[in-house]
Amino acid sequence: MTLSEPVALSAEACLKCNVCNTVCPVLRVTDRFPGPKYVGPQAQRFRLAAQAAPQMGRRRHIASPDLTVDWCSGCGFCTAACPADVKIAEINSRARAVLREVERTGPLGWRHRIRDRLLGETDLVGRLGVRLAPLANLLLQARLSRWAVQLVLGIHRQAALPAFARRTFAATWRSGHGALPVDPSQPGLPGPDRAVVYFHGCAANYYEPHVAAAAVAVLERNGFQVIVPPQVCCGLPLISNGRYAVARGRARRNVATLAAFARAGYAIVGTSTSCTHTLKAEYREMLDVDDADARAVAEATWDINEFLVHLHDEGRLDTAFGPRAGSLPYHAPCQLRSHGIGLPALDLFALVPGLAAEDMDHDCCGIAGTYGLKEEKYQVALDVGAPLFERLGARGATEVACDSETCRWHIQAATGARLRHPVEILAEAYAAVPAASPPGGT
Amino acid sequence: MPSVDVVVVGSGLAGLATAVRFAEDGARVAVVAAGSATLSWAGGPLDVAAVPPDGTPREGVANLAARPGHPYAILADDIDAAVAWFGVTMANGGLPYEGDLDRPLRPLPTALGATRPAAIVPAAMADAMEPWRPGEGLVVMGIQGDKDLWPAAVAAGLRQAFAAVPGTGPASITAVTVALPDLAGRRNRSALDMARRFDDPRQRAAILGRLGRALDGGPGGERRIALPAALGLADHAAALAAAREALGGPVFELPMVPPSIPGLRVQAVLRRRLLALGGRILLGEAVARVELDAGRVARVILPAAARETTIQAPALVLATGGLTGGGLVAPASGGLRETVLGLPVEAPPEADWLASRADAPGGHPIALAGIRTDAQLRPVAPLGSTVRRRLPSGVRIVGSLLAGQRFVDERCGDGVALASAWRAAA
Repeated sequence: MTLSEPVALSAEACLKCNVCNTVCPVLRVTDRFPGPKYVGPQAQRFRLAAQAAPQMGRRRHIASPDLTVDWCSGCGFCTAACPADVKIAEINSRARAVLREVERTGPLGWRHRIRDRLLGETDLVGRLGVRLAPLANLLLQARLSRWAVQLVLGIHRQAALPAFARRTFAATWRSGHGALPVDPSQPGLPGPDRAVVYFHGCAANYYEPHVAAAAVAVLERNGFQVIVPPQVCCGLPLISNGRYAVARGRARRNVATLAAFARAGYAIVGTSTSCTHTLKAEYREMLDVDDADARAVAEATWDINEFLVHLHDEGRLDTAFGPRAGSLPYHAPCQLRSHGIGLPALDLFALVPGLAAEDMDHDCCGIAGTYGLKEEKYQVALDVGAPLFERLGARGATEVACDSETCRWHIQAATGARLRHPVEILAEAYAAVPAASPPGGT
Repeated sequence: MPSVDVVVVGSGLAGLATAVRFAEDGARVAVVAAGSATLSWAGGPLDVAAVPPDGTPREGVANLAARPGHPYAILADDIDAAVAWFGVTMANGGLPYEGDLDRPLRPLPTALGATRPAAIVPAAMADAMEPWRPGEGLVVMGIQGDKDLWPAAVAAGLRQAFAAVPGTGPASITAVTVALPDLAGRRNRSALDMARRFDDPRQRAAILGRLGRALDGGPGGERRIALPAALGLADHAAALAAAREALGGPVFELPMVPPSIPGLRVQAVLRRRLLALGGRILLGEAVARVELDAGRVARVILPAAARETTIQAPALVLATGGLTGGGLVAPASGGLRETVLGLPVEAPPEADWLASRADAPGGHPIALAGIRTDAQLRPVAPLGSTVRRRLPSGVRIVGSLLAGQRFVDERCGDGVALASAWRAAA
């Protein structure tokens, strides 16, 4: 694999100040992880030295002086806190990928290698699961089968796995709107001033079509028609599980479809904040998919709440929200913070009369995508999220808002509260008030 | 992003204090920072001024204020209000400070086995500040395997330090090292690990039990106990009270190397206060550029993930620090550059930069570098500069970016940070 130099070499700027260790959620709860400073910039010296030594052969790509970098969950708080602009989380992600390519023993035995492959294949799992939904969901609920899954695959039996939808969002959309458009020049498509492209990602497609429906309703309420081009998994679960080459293939496929829409001026709006961040940043920074098309897609991509706040900034957001009494705890996911857009969900909640949203101000819920599903990391995921769960419990929270699907599933399983995407809250607030103007006209 | 009334760049003491002050007056505030480090480097005592070494902070401020070009020359009038505000803010956040501007500076033992002058300290260090009574001893306690605090070395160093000024120190200094089985497997142990264990009531009780038993075998009589500055982070007040009860008598924390728990506690209080007042904090975002309308700050642009994020704001506060904080950089091409607006930097002639030693009396001349301002902390041309270009309006400078201070030698960094925060938000 190629190492993108700015990331690999940023380690040189490390001051050894330790602030990354102070913000690391994993280091907070386990002795197994020595902290981002050690596995990141400090171990990077050995990696850089090894690469420069041809006599090391295959071991030239030595992942790390030890294997503890595997405990990094990739939340990114270290990179955000670093005063010297060291790309700590990104260094760790690359090291984990090499670890999976090179290491054959230790904590990454064959069983976990197969598991990590499977966890990266969200499209495959999703397609199969939706097809077999009644049976698959039954098996996911049954204790015996979850024991078996843990035994065979190493996915923790108590980890929150979402239920498959009976039908994918894309299939439902096709039956209402016909074949998915692959090209913006296709006749009959509304122009970019009246329509947006929706990137549903795997979560809204296979597990939470109601989130997609809420997004469509909110976008249509604001006068935008929704275009759903064919799409594949953004690739993030593959990146997280060290399969950069496969992820690169997914990136190229998505870019190939979405670039034409981006160039035609359409906004690409997503409900999964980790998918939208992958389209914006990881294709270029982590996968080296960095051509003009990828840049066009990145610059056209919006987290849905970011897009709605942007509309509001421009005075174009329909603010006729119906009232909604009571408080609503909100958890900001790690991936959202990497966008550098603030907390747009809170800006939108402030527009709903009566709604008292409250930022839980907790670093990470613990799940970190697929990290907390793994048998050896499940307890870490629970411990990292524990203060958040306690805070929600103390409030007697029955409903909690969060932008990221895996966080929602994890928090829901840990607290019993009902977890909502912010756009669902907005859709309900809109539904309480009839639209001022018919959808489609601005 | 929605517009705000003021953007503060920097999340150290000056930045967070300024942001909280603005938010307390009802302003909508966004803090934007490339990183968040400097408070994790802060040892805990509030450094207002330490010149002369045996004076009070108030005398120190007056001394520095008399020096032309020092930030206190314009800020001295605000130091009382600013320090009082800090005390109230910390106390309300569960982190009371003790001491004031009129308390003489006294030698506070540190984990390096040295003393440093201090007058205003967190409650956890207050027991170190009373003069030592005749016959009173000091027991330095540490945890086995803690690479940042070696009790025997600390005790040896302190004996030497106090011996330099006879009659000022404890009658005896002994070291006690305690093994904690729970920590034995921990790699790269730091104060952070210990502080988090002290946050947990069960682990706290177990650790204090062991410390107490180790002490029972040690020297009796009148004594104070020094512990690593790791008595809790999230639940520090309870941890401190439990330590005083379990060990019986005066207990104080020794300031340690980064990551410094006392500094992280201050950061947590300010951060929580700002969020409670509706402020926003964006970390990991350096400012890409600032756009002006008719010479006045109008928009702050962040690089963000793919497409720039724009924050509309009519006012901007630079709390980016000096050369250490990253507010100033020295590019290979020469000179010094202010990183956000490219403001003209006041600095000693480049020929002097390598001429003196960093530990020379009076400090290294480069420490004086910074941005010159008027009394309202608006940037102006450097002293002695003949260049007159129009500088953007709507800008205030706070903290270590202000020219004319030697915050290491003068120990004025915290006082300048707070007084300038107070002035900027006035």
